[in-house]
Amino acid sequence: MSNERIEFDAIVVGAGLAGSAAAMVMAREGLNVALIERGQKPGGKNYFGGAIYTHAIAEVLPDYQDRKPPFERPVTEAGFWFLSQTGLTRMTVQGGKLDTEPADAYITLRASFDAWWAEQAQEAGAFLIPKTAVTDFIRKESGEVIGVVTDRPQGEIYAPIVIICEGVNNLLTQKLGLIDRDLEPAEMALAVKQVISLKPEVIRARFGLSGEDQGLAVSVLGDVSLGLPGMGFVYTNKASVSVGMGVMLDVLAEYRLQPADILQRYLQHPAIAPLVEGGQLLEYGAHLIPEGGYKAMPKLYTDGAMVAGDAAAMVNALHWEGTNMAIIAGKLAAETAIEAHSRGDFSQRVTSRYEDRLKEGFILKDLKQYRGFSKFLETHPQFMDVYPNFVNDAIGQFFTAYGKPKQELFKGMLGGLTDRRSLIKAAGDMISMARAVMGW
Amino acid sequence: MAMKTGDAFEPKQISDQLRESLPDVYVDDLLVTLKYFIDEEESHLWIEEHEVCTRCEHKPCLYFCPVGVYTLGSDGKIQVAYQSCVECGSCRVACPYTNIGWVLPRGGFGVAYKFG
Repeated sequence: MSNERIEFDAIVVGAGLAGSAAAMVMAREGLNVALIERGQKPGGKNYFGGAIYTHAIAEVLPDYQDRKPPFERPVTEAGFWFLSQTGLTRMTVQGGKLDTEPADAYITLRASFDAWWAEQAQEAGAFLIPKTAVTDFIRKESGEVIGVVTDRPQGEIYAPIVIICEGVNNLLTQKLGLIDRDLEPAEMALAVKQVISLKPEVIRARFGLSGEDQGLAVSVLGDVSLGLPGMGFVYTNKASVSVGMGVMLDVLAEYRLQPADILQRYLQHPAIAPLVEGGQLLEYGAHLIPEGGYKAMPKLYTDGAMVAGDAAAMVNALHWEGTNMAIIAGKLAAETAIEAHSRGDFSQRVTSRYEDRLKEGFILKDLKQYRGFSKFLETHPQFMDVYPNFVNDAIGQFFTAYGKPKQELFKGMLGGLTDRRSLIKAAGDMISMARAVMGW
Repeated sequence: MAMKTGDAFEPKQISDQLRESLPDVYVDDLLVTLKYFIDEEESHLWIEEHEVCTRCEHKPCLYFCPVGVYTLGSDGKIQVAYQSCVECGSCRVACPYTNIGWVLPRGGFGVAYKFG
């Protein structure tokens, strides 16, 4: 029996957001799908901020709400916090466009969410193979992918189509020659996070939330990353908060900084410490984020294979998007695999349709538009110190009664900026930022 | 802007004031919160050539690894505590000499986040 070839209609490498989405869509169409996961169970290797977007979940699983997704809280307040050395200015929005049912985004923890997400794929008929790492491909002489090699004894698994959702360390994608180089440190943010337990009533009081049906998600700029290109974040879970930050990896290497130290400094900031005081550390972890964007993307398809999610650098760092791109890219790859089966053609003639599908939607459009953004923070460190400090000082002065004429006050506020950066340079920064965001 | 590699790697300095404001975290205190399935038989991380590390003046791996896998032994060699690895991949990418061997742990082994 052991000599019999193990064969499926499709193989998905990695049961993360992209992988389980792809497996779900293909299995539902009747394909016999192997979903291979290297962790003990799906989600065990994944670490993020973060929030998951319902538009993406609904596209793959329209009745997701009936299936009890393990959400922590809906995002009912979102925005930016600006930290100066001692101050905090909040720019967040609540209600309005965020006041929807279901919410646009839900704060989640990946160990529980990804496990649930993979269960949905299994329920659709996909066969989950956990504790198994894919180490290589089986290819025809012509190069066409016809299966994978795993680290199990006699671990070859065959299928005419393989969807690679291996995550940020895209060694298999490199092995296929879809990208001819390894990742560059300057394209990666190293993110570290602490999950800190807090009672729901404490979260409610400290974060100004009315109950467990409200949640806060913020990006934190300023005195977070030592003036280096990086950003912090805070998310409220049900009975814990996720506080973390990402700094570009090349910078951490060059400045020889331990990310855990920088995170601890941020947690000790006079405006942040009271928020987590008395909480117990539940988990610390780290993950790379592929922020290289469009220029760091591999070719997305070849004969018999496609790539989706972090492995394909599908991340929009400024908008915290990545999870939604992964889910939708997984779905589009799956639809392409289904088309390949119906045509009986697994070559690039059909797998290239995956890229066409991505171009029709928002993913490739956005990634192309934001292609300059990751470089932007690197070349504009003033967004990490000058402007957050200015905002705090200016608003602080505006609401302080000095017993001086207001004209002097406004001069002082402006001086708070021009002492640090000339108005012309500041205007230039704004234009650069617009260019980075608009893709000009 | 890209990080210079090999002998051209150049360390940079934050200001003394910022440096002093950095707490010195004992990473092991953080690691006790993590669950691992440790592969006792093989390490998925290794130093390709210890000679290269000896030549590497600034040894950034001793700092940027978020879980402190790399330490300097009393013999002057880099030691690799692969058991603490969270498989982020930073060392593979950011070692200035690309001198760190890195593969995924065998299936089922390595870090297992409880929260994520």
